[in-house]
Amino acid sequence: MTTALITVDQSAARRQRARSTRSRLSTVVGIALLAIMLFPVYWMVNTSLQPSGNTLNAGLIPWNPSFAGYEQALADQGGNLLTSLIVSIGSVVVCLVIAAPAAYALAQFRYRWISVALLVILIAQMIPGIVIANALYAAYNDLGLLNSVVGLILADASHSIPFAILVLRAFMMGLHPSILEAARVDGAGPVRAFWSIALPIAKNALITAGLFAFLFAWSDFLFALTLTTTEDLRPVTLGIYSYLGTQVSNWSAVMATAVLSSLPAIVLLLVAQRYIAAGAMGGAVK
Amino acid sequence: MTTVLSSRRRRLRREDVIKALFVVPAAIYILLFFGYPVVKNILMGFQDYTTKTFFTGEAPWVGLQNYVTAVTSGLFWPAMANTLLFTIGSLIGQFVIGMGLAVFFRRQFPLSGFLRAMLLLPWLLPLIVSSATWRAILDKDSGILNQALGAIGLDAVPWLTSPDVALIAVILVNIWVGIPFNVTLLYGGLQDIPEELYEAASLDGATGWKAFWHITLPNLRPVMSVVLVLGVVYTLKVLDVILGLTGGGPANATQTIAIRAYQTSFVDFEFGVGAAFSNILILLSLVFALIYLRSNRKAVDE
Amino acid sequence: MRRIRTLTAVAALATAPLLLASCAGGGGTGGGDAGGEVDSLTMLDYWNNEPDKTIMQGVIDTCSEEIGVKIERETVPGKDLIQKVLQRSSSKTLPDILMLDNPDVQEIAATGGLAPLSRFDVDTEGFAQGILDAATYEDEVYGLAPAVNTLGIFYNKTLLDEAGIEPPKTWDDLKAASAALTEGDRYGIAFSAIATYEGAWQFLPFMWTNGGDETDLQTPEVAEALQLWVDLVEDGSASGGVVNWSQADVKDQFVAGKAAMMVNGPWQIPALADTDFEWGSVLVPVNEEGQKPVAPLGGEVLTVPETGDEARQAKAAEFIGCVTNEENSMAVAEARFMVPTRTSLVDAYVEKVPSMEAFTQQVVDARSRTGKLGEEWPTVATVIYNAVQLAITGEATPADALEQAARG
Repeated sequence: MTTALITVDQSAARRQRARSTRSRLSTVVGIALLAIMLFPVYWMVNTSLQPSGNTLNAGLIPWNPSFAGYEQALADQGGNLLTSLIVSIGSVVVCLVIAAPAAYALAQFRYRWISVALLVILIAQMIPGIVIANALYAAYNDLGLLNSVVGLILADASHSIPFAILVLRAFMMGLHPSILEAARVDGAGPVRAFWSIALPIAKNALITAGLFAFLFAWSDFLFALTLTTTEDLRPVTLGIYSYLGTQVSNWSAVMATAVLSSLPAIVLLLVAQRYIAAGAMGGAVK
Repeated sequence: MTTVLSSRRRRLRREDVIKALFVVPAAIYILLFFGYPVVKNILMGFQDYTTKTFFTGEAPWVGLQNYVTAVTSGLFWPAMANTLLFTIGSLIGQFVIGMGLAVFFRRQFPLSGFLRAMLLLPWLLPLIVSSATWRAILDKDSGILNQALGAIGLDAVPWLTSPDVALIAVILVNIWVGIPFNVTLLYGGLQDIPEELYEAASLDGATGWKAFWHITLPNLRPVMSVVLVLGVVYTLKVLDVILGLTGGGPANATQTIAIRAYQTSFVDFEFGVGAAFSNILILLSLVFALIYLRSNRKAVDE
Repeated sequence: MRRIRTLTAVAALATAPLLLASCAGGGGTGGGDAGGEVDSLTMLDYWNNEPDKTIMQGVIDTCSEEIGVKIERETVPGKDLIQKVLQRSSSKTLPDILMLDNPDVQEIAATGGLAPLSRFDVDTEGFAQGILDAATYEDEVYGLAPAVNTLGIFYNKTLLDEAGIEPPKTWDDLKAASAALTEGDRYGIAFSAIATYEGAWQFLPFMWTNGGDETDLQTPEVAEALQLWVDLVEDGSASGGVVNWSQADVKDQFVAGKAAMMVNGPWQIPALADTDFEWGSVLVPVNEEGQKPVAPLGGEVLTVPETGDEARQAKAAEFIGCVTNEENSMAVAEARFMVPTRTSLVDAYVEKVPSMEAFTQQVVDARSRTGKLGEEWPTVATVIYNAVQLAITGEATPADALEQAARG
């Protein structure tokens, strides 16, 4: 009796060790893949530390780093970073508030015009940004929304709302209707079913969509340029252009700004990724 | 009897209203922010819209003339060919690599969360910075890529200065730009596939490739098709990457319909023809959109 | 049936924003009562980066004090200026003072959006003819520039002295010198042949000096000029990378010691301050004896848009008169390494800034890009840079390249 238990324990331990070696191997491979993927980012950091602002005479490692670019970026761009953060986070909120219910409706309700709605949303994605920017400028000018945080937030959300609706819908289509039926039987209305059941299960999808909404808004340049006419409101993407003149450019400051401005966003990314856990859906089906 | 029926009917109607409210904010937003631009762009395609129009507001109707000008321009067919090559090449690269990475990251291992978050780093950089960096990396004389190739005994490749290679270079950079998007979405989709399905299958002896083919792919269908259709729509529109790397050159080797639309409007100041080009691009995207909707409807019926 | 109804409803809703936007008129901006005292003016320009931003702000402040108005200034990146101008045009919110790059002036003037300076009390005498040509549309002058620049050849004096080579005066000199100076990873010469108006701009000195003209590109003179560039690349004296280099990239190559000579303009002089070698500059070389070196005219022009408010326009014109007067013209030229547009100042300027001697000489005979073609310039510029790209990448011979590009 005891011998059988010991053998089982031994093979379980062996499997455990095999799994952890495989895990560690995965980590190494993962780091290698990341290094390849992120080499251009490293190169950007390298450029930002070059005194000449370019990599013409640069080696692989910046042995004599020059921080002039960083000094300038820190001096000029602090406020812009805050602006970008506020606008981006605002965009995420607007996007999710508008897109999540719509995605849920398009996924779960049975409407005959769903295909038309999806087509409209896809067409919205196809429009070149500059066409939207020109139209928005005229409208914002009349409504007095130029140079306003609210205006920028609403405009930047346009990058992500159609996208979020489509993506969230795809995720929510995997939601088993039996769960919702069970809720309906218990007397819950559509809002309750959405809020208390669908949203928690679709957590992964919401975080992923929110992540992209943030990134789209963060890297927006077109609306930042078009919808501001003074220097009061300058997202960091616009701030970078103050180093790129018509004839003379200060590339080390540009790269330094890009590096510095990624830092707060990296923190947000790390925090968000932690929440995309496995099996959020799987548990519910049982 | 009648009171019970009418109160139920009232409840149902109220429920319909509540259900409609789910989509109303989105509908209003889309109509306000996208409705006018779409209509304006379609109309511009039929007008003689120049810099003068911006000031005077006059844009004489020219019917299909702009479209004829666009389609008969010398660069139209080369740009169309490049657009298709660019889109198909980018999508295959981004999707396959993205799927591979998503599957790789599916199993938790030490640092996997951190690595996954870092994969999104390229998206944090403004495109102007990424294209400038890639331009430096791909420089024929002093770029680090050619130096690396030289170190292993290969010739320097004129990545951005030879009409034969430039399109490939631009596709490779676009693949790099698109990988984070694909990985993150596909990974999210993979996470939603219940582990039990894999466990049950492994009991029947289906692991690795078989499990991927029979479990992962079917369950991932909705996310995959969204990723693909959005990938097509976004890639068709790509401007900044190509403009930043080659400006449409060398010798128009990397001209695409999107670039034609931009340059015709903002470099040649012929906005009507530019709008015609971008409408042609929208029609192209529509084809793919309709394919997506058809496959989507089939899935729902299943 | 229901679907058709829903579709029509959707279509109707889609056109609602269109109607809303077209009904709305434009609003004016800026302070000051209409027709009475003007106490502030709005200005739009593309001097958005240092050092230009601060330098121009200095001149703007001087003049704003002198004429007694506050200037509210908006700066945008260079390539986005025209887009902003068009947006402002259609919403009727053009600024009171508009800076335009000189080749764009005629295009904007043709829209009717600019006011001719003859309407105001502004002196247009005493300026270099080239810049007046650029800013003239249908015989009316629409703007003035405080300073202009042009192109020349910069050379690495240290390297040339070492090799015992004189700075090139003719095309043959140029080819010989470039070949001799090409060594290791250093090319003899660098220039910009990029697929943008910058590439066309860089080609003009060679085209014009050889007698070519932008009104007819299918001439042997233009093909010869293009052949020069093709020869330089084929000989290996210039890198194939020129088809993707902007003038800023060319400057980087020169400063990094990867090119012994470069075709560039004096605005690069501040960037050359920290080089570890001595540099000099000369006029662009000529092909044959007796030809005069001709280079294009660069620089920004200040204009008065039609805002409908005469009092503000008059004040704006006064401001422009101030910025382009002798004192301020000289100040801008000195600070930005440009050449003052007032012909009377040229000699005094060369005394003050000797490093600009070659460029100042070049400006005397410089031509504007839009002098002959006006609004047609953008189309021709596109043909030029397309032809250059086709020829340098070896896709066509210079003559065929010019023909192909003209067709496209």
